[in-house]
Amino acid sequence: MGAIAVSVAETDARLIERTGRGDRAAFEELYRRFARPVLGMALRQLGDNGRAEDATQETFAAIWRSARSYRAERGSASAWLYTVARHAIIDRARQRTEAAAQVPDEASAEAGPAEHAESSWLAWSVHSALERLPERERAVIELAYWSGLSQAEIASYLNVPLGTVKTRTRAGLARLAGILEEVRE
Amino acid sequence: MSDSHDLRDLVGEDAGAEELERLREVDALLRTVTPPPPEIPASLTRSVLDRNVIRLPNRRRAVLAVALAAALAALSFAVGRWTDDDGFDARAAVVMEATADARGAAAVIRLGERDSSGNWTIELEASGLPKLRKGDSYVLWLAKDGEYAATCGYFQLRAGSATVRMNGAYRLKDYDTWVITAHSSQDSDAPTPWLLKAPVRA
Repeated sequence: MGAIAVSVAETDARLIERTGRGDRAAFEELYRRFARPVLGMALRQLGDNGRAEDATQETFAAIWRSARSYRAERGSASAWLYTVARHAIIDRARQRTEAAAQVPDEASAEAGPAEHAESSWLAWSVHSALERLPERERAVIELAYWSGLSQAEIASYLNVPLGTVKTRTRAGLARLAGILEEVRE
Repeated sequence: MSDSHDLRDLVGEDAGAEELERLREVDALLRTVTPPPPEIPASLTRSVLDRNVIRLPNRRRAVLAVALAAALAALSFAVGRWTDDDGFDARAAVVMEATADARGAAAVIRLGERDSSGNWTIELEASGLPKLRKGDSYVLWLAKDGEYAATCGYFQLRAGSATVRMNGAYRLKDYDTWVITAHSSQDSDAPTPWLLKAPVRA
């Protein structure tokens, strides 16, 4: 099977530009694509559902306000969105009475700030890419990697043949590879 | 998933070496990162979208639409209860406010008598709503705390406006907001933005 072409109706950059012009449909599509990555990053860093949801709201309010300032020539759309989210989450973290400016992405005594930033960016990239998969491919990949279920159990859970699970996993991984390559470019 | 799993187990035996190599990189990444959160809570989506609706610039047209609808309702009630051409006997009227998703839209809900089941008869007059996809319709419903609570009825516009009769739940005080949204015939669970809203005053 060859590489699957990545089909994206509208690029993230174009959606940000449209949002900057007050296009609400573009903003909603950005929300659909990035709500889970933003909430995921907020949860990892803030460790609390309520505050993570607040940070997610603040992130999208900031995207709406500042989309006009986005310049595609200065960097990728995903990196811009990541930075906006990062700032909103850090601002929320600073509001903690415990005075912790930032909670690491994953609890680890060894990893330093650079490693945390790297793992945070990796998680962001992968989670964002997952959101662009067709639902049936995203579902099998998330189940395969994070549910603890075997392929046979996934097939039973989704009520589809085992071969279908493998086909969808293969297609999803290929598509994911294409999206991640696109983000790196 | 076990770290020792073979990628071939996941994708099947017929993947070639070159393809496997490409997939192996993604496979490794997926095993490195933490899982994404489960689905986004509906309350968060609503908060994000409503909050940004409020901040949208140029609300002038929405304000004008609401003002026009309010003026029409006031005029209708200036001489007491309104009995329209079709004989609908209105006891109260609610002017709905357009959100940024339906600038220029307007609607008035007229509450009539209770029907034999104790539900309120409603006449809804709406206009200027955004165009629907083929087969879709609008829906008037009641919300409580920002969440769906009860459906009053579905409708479509003819030549940009509609006057339709429907029924409202008999205990209006159980709800806090009248809402009009679009209803997708393809995906009834699809999230749709609020187009018009008004507080319930039971």
